[in-house]
Amino acid sequence: MTLVVGVDIGNSTTEACVASVGEGRVEYLGTALTRTTGVKGTPDNTQGAVAAVRRALDGRTPDLVLLNEATPVISGLAMETISETIITESTMIGHNPATPGGEGTGVGTTVAIEALASASGPCIVVVPAGWDFDDVAHEIDSSSAQVVAAVLAHDDAVLVCNRLATPIPVVDEVGAVEKVPLGMLAAVEVAPPGRTIRTLSDAYGLASVFGLDPEQTRQVSPVARALTGNRSAVVVRTPSGDVTDRRIPVGTLTLTGAGKTQRVDVDAGADEIMTVLSRVQPLDDATGEPGTHVGGMLAQVRDTMTDVTGQPANEIRIRDVLAVDTTVPHEVRGGLAGEIAPERAVALAAMVRTSRSRMQVVADQVAAALGCRAEIGGVEGEMAVRGALTTPGTAVPIAVLDLGGGSTDAALLTHEGSAAVHVAGAGELVTKLIDSELALDDREQAEAVKRHPLAKAESFFHVRHEDGTVQFFREPLPSHVFARVVTMGPEGPAPVRTRHTVDHVRRVRREAKRKVFAVNAVRALRQVAPGGSLRLLEFVVLLGGSALDFEIPELIADALAPHGIVCGIGNVHGTEGPRNAVASGLVDAWSRR
Amino acid sequence: MTAPAVQRTLSLKEIGPAQRGSRPDEVVVAVSPAFGDYFSKTIVDVPHAEVVRQILAGIEEQGVAARMVKVWDTADLAAVAHTGARLSGSGISIGLLSRGTAMIHQRDLPRLSNLELFPQSPLLDAEVFRRIGSNAAQYAKGESPAPVPTRNDQMARPRWQAKAALLHLKEYECIVAGRKPVEVEPVVSRA
Repeated sequence: MTLVVGVDIGNSTTEACVASVGEGRVEYLGTALTRTTGVKGTPDNTQGAVAAVRRALDGRTPDLVLLNEATPVISGLAMETISETIITESTMIGHNPATPGGEGTGVGTTVAIEALASASGPCIVVVPAGWDFDDVAHEIDSSSAQVVAAVLAHDDAVLVCNRLATPIPVVDEVGAVEKVPLGMLAAVEVAPPGRTIRTLSDAYGLASVFGLDPEQTRQVSPVARALTGNRSAVVVRTPSGDVTDRRIPVGTLTLTGAGKTQRVDVDAGADEIMTVLSRVQPLDDATGEPGTHVGGMLAQVRDTMTDVTGQPANEIRIRDVLAVDTTVPHEVRGGLAGEIAPERAVALAAMVRTSRSRMQVVADQVAAALGCRAEIGGVEGEMAVRGALTTPGTAVPIAVLDLGGGSTDAALLTHEGSAAVHVAGAGELVTKLIDSELALDDREQAEAVKRHPLAKAESFFHVRHEDGTVQFFREPLPSHVFARVVTMGPEGPAPVRTRHTVDHVRRVRREAKRKVFAVNAVRALRQVAPGGSLRLLEFVVLLGGSALDFEIPELIADALAPHGIVCGIGNVHGTEGPRNAVASGLVDAWSRR
Repeated sequence: MTAPAVQRTLSLKEIGPAQRGSRPDEVVVAVSPAFGDYFSKTIVDVPHAEVVRQILAGIEEQGVAARMVKVWDTADLAAVAHTGARLSGSGISIGLLSRGTAMIHQRDLPRLSNLELFPQSPLLDAEVFRRIGSNAAQYAKGESPAPVPTRNDQMARPRWQAKAALLHLKEYECIVAGRKPVEVEPVVSRA
């Protein structure tokens, strides 16, 4: 009997599988899992690999350790904003304060509250910081001018409105109220609770309010668009004020492959990039225009690879790119109240194939640390298929999708042979998309949002889950989760620092997963499928850490369902779930030698 | 937010024994025995009239109703706030001591816990009281407000501890043991 340990070093986790092999029988004794130390395929992995082996062995002494020939695939991520909203001449306030006052529309000339006594005609009073709500209300009520609306610096709109003899629409929390141009025609609109504004968010509404001609109406239409969906807004008519939605030139991406070279502007968006990419498959290299953002993005990826692999930067080839459209909340330039606009951005995952893997170094170090033999056992893709075949209910021909942290890998085993591909973009990219779209700025929290379902702690004794069901608790929940959107992880509810609703966070999370995994599943399987036709695949087994996710498998199954594919989560040995396929495959392959 | 130039005074008119509220849209502001009575300003001379005005304004701005209660038989902030929370229709209360220390509490919490605590009374000004009112009202509405940023000053303790202790002793002397909480109406008038 020989005690054999199969070790799979992945981008994020290192898995080990212990088996005793003898007389054609393989008896699996245990498995273990640790975090990968260092970047996959580098000598730094030794520590994690040794830890995983020791944990799986549980005190036994191994005879042989088998390592996977880690696919020399390393992935990098970059994100660039491609649009920018700029307000010129302080023409618009559309920051949507939580509590505006009054309702309706008021049109008049902007007047500072100090100058209200000398004002005439319909006017909109502008109140700077430092004014008390009682005084503001008193000042407006006692003024001889006809005050039709108000713009306030503090969060006082409801208070002022409640104290007026006749309520007027009031917009508050305008931080830079001193920049509002005075003596100009302006309009303030506040919609009833639960509604959005109708006049100022409509181009002809603006034209009617300000008496614009067709040419001017064309000019103000971006203002109307920018205010859509708000409950309150202020528009000031200045000679050349404008809101522009500028495209930031981020440079062109040059894709070389299949004997062709194609260029694509990154600000054209993800769809265009992916279309161009499909024309140059298989990709030989991707470069960005030097001196532009995209040039910087790809240079950064290359630099990381140089550090990791020790190869000179000019020898590193980017072999796959996944572009994903996303939105990033950004503060509007020229805004008066810290308005936030969702700007468009493109996230790029790039995958590099290095010319040499340094697994032999890892193997030698593991052997030294454990005092046993260590060999490189086989190619990752093939081993994964072998492991996947131990799933009950599967048969050759079989395709596996390994949903990892850095790359999504597909491998196909048919009676004729096998094929494997790696495409860029996986779990890490999903985390990054969630992080930036929700403006969490906290990788750990984004990871928690990705991994666990959401709920809202509605009281100390119950939460409402994202599907609407209510769960009660006997013990009160901790006070820091009260009234918050929480992730329901194994350690109990953990708050998410966001003002968004559960629904919004859920939508962002599912979209991020769909944009990365559902797209990549189809893309990767097309590349291994005979003739590129998904209909010729029968069984698809999902493997890897992300296959444990509570909704990624269902999103992929939905994407593959129209092609008549049986798709499900791998269950290695019928017990291990989607984990440990490669490690088990290694042991299995060795026992058959 | 600058303090208004006009001076205002606060008197708390007793209405009767405090009842448990039934409106789900109310926040109870519970004050300690000497508040607006023996004392008329906080440890850093913020007038109680202004404290109450700003807290009530914060609640009103959110469209939520407020009720004030005076707790007579304790000067312990957690006990004052929790008493208020149990009387509150929404289960949310703000507890206030005469020297300015404040707390947002909830009915279902253990008495010595809290939703938000503002322990350093010398650092609380009109703007913070406004935001405390606003946050309490948002909890009552079932929203998820960002907690009011708590300031911290390491020197507050050595500098103010003696005064705080004296104020607390005075407050303690105003306790009427066994007297039930009383609903009060705040009357703020310009001096």
